[in-house]
Amino acid sequence: MKQAPAARTKPKVSMASKASISRRRIESLKDFSFAAPALLILGVFIYYPLLFSLYISFTNWNMTRPMKKFIGFENYDRLVSDPLFYKVLRITFTYTALDVFLTLAIGLGLALLFNVSKRFYNFMRTGIFMPYYISMVIASMVFLWIFNNQYGLLNKFIGVFGMDPVNWLQNPNTAIWTLLAVSIWKGVGFTMLIFLSGLRSIPLEYFEASSLDGANKFWQFLHITFPLLSPTTLFLLITNFISSMQVFQSIDIMTNGGPLDSTKAIVYWIYEMAFVNFRTGRASALVIIFFLIIIVLTAVQMILTKKKVHYEG
Amino acid sequence: MSSKTWKTIRLIAAILVTLIMIFPVYWMVITSFKTSNELRLAVPTFWPETFMWSNYAEAFQAAPFGRYAVNTVIQTVGILFLQINLAIMAAYAFAKGSFPGRDKLFLLVLAALIVPEQVTFVPVYVMLSNLRWIDTFYALIVPHAVSAYTIFLLRQTFKSISNDVIEAGKVDGASRFQTLYRILTPMAFPTIATMAILTFISSWNSYFWPLIMTNSNDMRVLTVGIAMMRDSVAGDEALNFHLIMAASVMIILPIVLIFVLAQKHIITAMSNSTFK
Repeated sequence: MKQAPAARTKPKVSMASKASISRRRIESLKDFSFAAPALLILGVFIYYPLLFSLYISFTNWNMTRPMKKFIGFENYDRLVSDPLFYKVLRITFTYTALDVFLTLAIGLGLALLFNVSKRFYNFMRTGIFMPYYISMVIASMVFLWIFNNQYGLLNKFIGVFGMDPVNWLQNPNTAIWTLLAVSIWKGVGFTMLIFLSGLRSIPLEYFEASSLDGANKFWQFLHITFPLLSPTTLFLLITNFISSMQVFQSIDIMTNGGPLDSTKAIVYWIYEMAFVNFRTGRASALVIIFFLIIIVLTAVQMILTKKKVHYEG
Repeated sequence: MSSKTWKTIRLIAAILVTLIMIFPVYWMVITSFKTSNELRLAVPTFWPETFMWSNYAEAFQAAPFGRYAVNTVIQTVGILFLQINLAIMAAYAFAKGSFPGRDKLFLLVLAALIVPEQVTFVPVYVMLSNLRWIDTFYALIVPHAVSAYTIFLLRQTFKSISNDVIEAGKVDGASRFQTLYRILTPMAFPTIATMAILTFISSWNSYFWPLIMTNSNDMRVLTVGIAMMRDSVAGDEALNFHLIMAASVMIILPIVLIFVLAQKHIITAMSNSTFK
């Protein structure tokens, strides 16, 4: 390799170059001014609020009172000694784990089933993808109706098989599944599409070569398709995990965190603390904990990406 | 089994899965045409006995949906206009401009992607209530004026455009603004159109932010309005699902329309742009 000359001759400062330096400065200022509005908005509505949250979390601020006092870690102490805190974390992680696993598993299954380049299959794929763009609020309304205790279609359907109606939304064991149903219904189409584009990027020679060696479809899936899909899988894992952790809309429409707090996920609890009980300080402490969890998960998964994922070439 | 049998089995499975997936939408539409009595039949009907078009008029009167629709349109158009324009400018600066700290500042833009609105809403609410912006369009629009993701994608597109184009513009005496809006922006049109569609859909569907940032009936958007309508019949909702579903159909209509018109565009963009 050839080394670039390291030493540079110091330019002599003349009147002309001074003018060009100041002209360049104006040019770069003009360039910066194009980025400035976006940076300003991000600063005011993302970065400043993050720091402000951190500050509020150390105060006893209550939105109904103008007074606030610095109270150190008291909000955090109160949270970690509250049994509900652990319950909420458990619910959030159970929901997230099930949501991510089922959405990815079903999405991959759909991708394998629909990996056919025919117009009719294309048409069907569009139908499966459509729920992704329907508002979560509307989707929740429809599922509320399907899961309705007395007149809902699901209970009528299981009645055909002689099963007793289940009070899906009011039973602490089943309520979380109603939320999962909406989320999975909305999410699998997108997951399928991303898996499909992953599948199509696997070179066909791999399959041809192993077919010649007498490998069957199942062996090929385990040893070729699945490992080579790992960047896609990881991408979906990260994005789905983080968005599942933020579940709110379906809870607000379908269960309100109940019955018996069985669907109180973390964002819903933050919302309740801040806007129903007006405990701004404690809600902010919970926000900070929530954000730390998201950062840690993102970091862990980024490290995993570098180590484990099989990249081709 | 022969490969033809396999193909048939696969096709049947695919059709079944598709029917299951679109069933909730079908059920929403069908329910919206039933009478309140028909909702409560022992054996549900999969086709309405008579099509009650009047349900739509009735739903429209059950809550001020006209007002909600206007609010939703203003919110959506406002966010769309600001997000696209601020992103075009920022993406230009980060792709073609040169100023000290450019790449570090761009990292700061990317890092914003990690911060969900569920993390910032409490302090932003406090800030906006000090500004007396709560329950105004400012609160609905301004905090969403910038999308880091749009900046990121547009920067990629601008980077792929040769510098010669910009130099040619300079030679012709065009200002930065003119070069950007007359030359670069038309060249990046496919990316901009895709981002505009995705932004439209997400602000039309947004619920969390408008729920928190507005509190008067006059400022509600459609998603919040229908949630309130349902709350107003809580307990008796089984008698009212035909109206709730009629309102739902009206709310998703624009989205379905856009989806049908632009689905090919959206799907290709989605599968290409997500992790490249």
